[in-house]
Amino acid sequence: MADIAPAVIDARDLVKVYDGAGAETPALRGVSLTVREGEFAAVMGPSGSGKSTLMHILGCLDTPTQGTYRLAGRNVATLDDHELAQVRRETVGFVFQAFNLLPRSTVMRNVVMPMLYTQVPPGEREARAVAALESVGLESALWTHRSNELSGGQMQRVAIARSLVNNPSLVLADEPTGNLDTATGDAVMELFARLNAEGRTIVLITHEPHIAARTKRVVRIQDGLIVEDAATVGHQDGDA
Amino acid sequence: MRFADLISETLHSLTSNKVRSGLTILGIVVGIASVIAMIAIGQGSQASIEQSIQAAGSNLLTVSPSAGGQSGPGARSFGASVQSLTREDAESLAGLALVSGVAPSAQGQAQLVADGTNANVQIVGVTPAYATVSGLTVVSGSFISERDDVANAQVVVLGSTLAVDLFGEAADPVGEHIRSGNMLLTVVGVLEEKGAGLSNADSTAFIPLSTAFRYVTGSQYLSSIVLTVTDEEQMDMAEASVEATLLQRHGISDPDYADFQIQNMADMLETVSSVTGTFTALLAGIAGISLFVGGIGIMNMMLTTVTERTREIGLRKAIGADSSAISAQFLAESITLTLIGGVLGVVAGWGIGFVAANLLGVSAVITIDSVLLAAGVCAFIGVVFGYYPARRAAALSPIDALRYQ
Repeated sequence: MADIAPAVIDARDLVKVYDGAGAETPALRGVSLTVREGEFAAVMGPSGSGKSTLMHILGCLDTPTQGTYRLAGRNVATLDDHELAQVRRETVGFVFQAFNLLPRSTVMRNVVMPMLYTQVPPGEREARAVAALESVGLESALWTHRSNELSGGQMQRVAIARSLVNNPSLVLADEPTGNLDTATGDAVMELFARLNAEGRTIVLITHEPHIAARTKRVVRIQDGLIVEDAATVGHQDGDA
Repeated sequence: MRFADLISETLHSLTSNKVRSGLTILGIVVGIASVIAMIAIGQGSQASIEQSIQAAGSNLLTVSPSAGGQSGPGARSFGASVQSLTREDAESLAGLALVSGVAPSAQGQAQLVADGTNANVQIVGVTPAYATVSGLTVVSGSFISERDDVANAQVVVLGSTLAVDLFGEAADPVGEHIRSGNMLLTVVGVLEEKGAGLSNADSTAFIPLSTAFRYVTGSQYLSSIVLTVTDEEQMDMAEASVEATLLQRHGISDPDYADFQIQNMADMLETVSSVTGTFTALLAGIAGISLFVGGIGIMNMMLTTVTERTREIGLRKAIGADSSAISAQFLAESITLTLIGGVLGVVAGWGIGFVAANLLGVSAVITIDSVLLAAGVCAFIGVVFGYYPARRAAALSPIDALRYQ
């Protein structure tokens, strides 16, 4: 079904070597991955497998040592600082495991922040932030709270709302449930499933099989290489 | 990023970290205020010292006896005991072109007794010209007259402090009598208060020069001749002509063997100025150290927040800020902090300088130079250490900035 849709992510032979730190072990040793519009994929792997590195490269937060990466048709390596910033705010919405909100700012301010760097007129920003906050199901009483007054689940909803507010074609989430309890994690996954159903392309990292099982495609990565890439069918719990 | 958004983000960032902003501003205020206050006190002291010399008269030449050159400069300090200047010397100097006033004087110590009140004072024999040359004004009665001098009159003019010491605050001593040794002096005048200066006219008794020769010094020699010069610009020329005249009169050909010395008030003012200038430089040095310490404080505040700020920069970049937006925000924050700190620092420095100078009895002199120096250095440090690390962090990849420890 998704095979006819255009590719959002088109990564070829990505290699990432971190300089310094002694060991010359590459974090990625040639990863190729294509994700098409409307997909809902999970990247799985043990810690140190390179999955976070891959995610950061896909989100244009880091650059590969070798290989080419086309995001929505554009070769990322050719973009300058200004164009990269534009990609990060308009094409990709990134959700961090540690939420990465500005702790002393209000929920509303955190969600509005990505729009400060865009051409969105000031009058429209709040309406868009409200729409994003409503879509992640955060009750309006919390919108004026400082983000460090919220619970983990609430913070992650704010972070997701922030990633959506510029209407990106791709949402990347780095272990979005990693810092949440099971029930809250399930709620966040439900939110992602709904956002995907609304047409968003979503790629998330997890090492929990039951989280991966709720996506439509699982990419397994180990020692910097993709070892398995398969569609999930129903519930294929646990086994590799 | 819009300018309004930039301002809004800057103010939000500064107000949501009140302690951090406050401490940074404090560092800037201390740095600037200390420099301004120090320099204000230093220059105020210098001005007040120079003013007191000016008040004594900067167009004065003082000729005093000196033990000739053969004993070297060390012996010159005993000059007061040397007898070489005479009344005739003084009269000959009065004819010189650049000299407008000549006041010969003979000085001694005397015990004055009035109504059972005792005072051991400096007693100075003078001619009428002394009042003009030394800038003395009589508040009651009159000064020593020509006639008093000619007649060896036993009359005295009292300095203001001395008059009070002898006769009390309320009384007018004019017409009263004072006994001193075998003189019975009639008070003919009281001087106006002169205030602290180089001379202590306030506690001196003035009598006619001839009377002093006869009853106080017991000789016909002067202890000094004070001359006023018509043009302050030509002090050196006047000094040279005075020296030439006296050398000729004393029959000395080599100036090194002169039996007198000439003190130039303008030179003295210069000397004192250079001393007070050194004092101001010392204060400026202390102020410079304060500025340095203040600068280190500002730098520390800016740098200790780098870790936290680097993560924020990473986050802002990750959600789509480009490097120029980051740089603009941090530059705006640094400028705002240094601007607030600078204004408060100048005001505080002015206030401290004013209060401290009042306590020291001098007037604070705030110079625009010190304000610009202090504010400039602190602003420079604040902006460099606020902006430079931010700029470097903005050049990192977002993920490196987010991971920064």
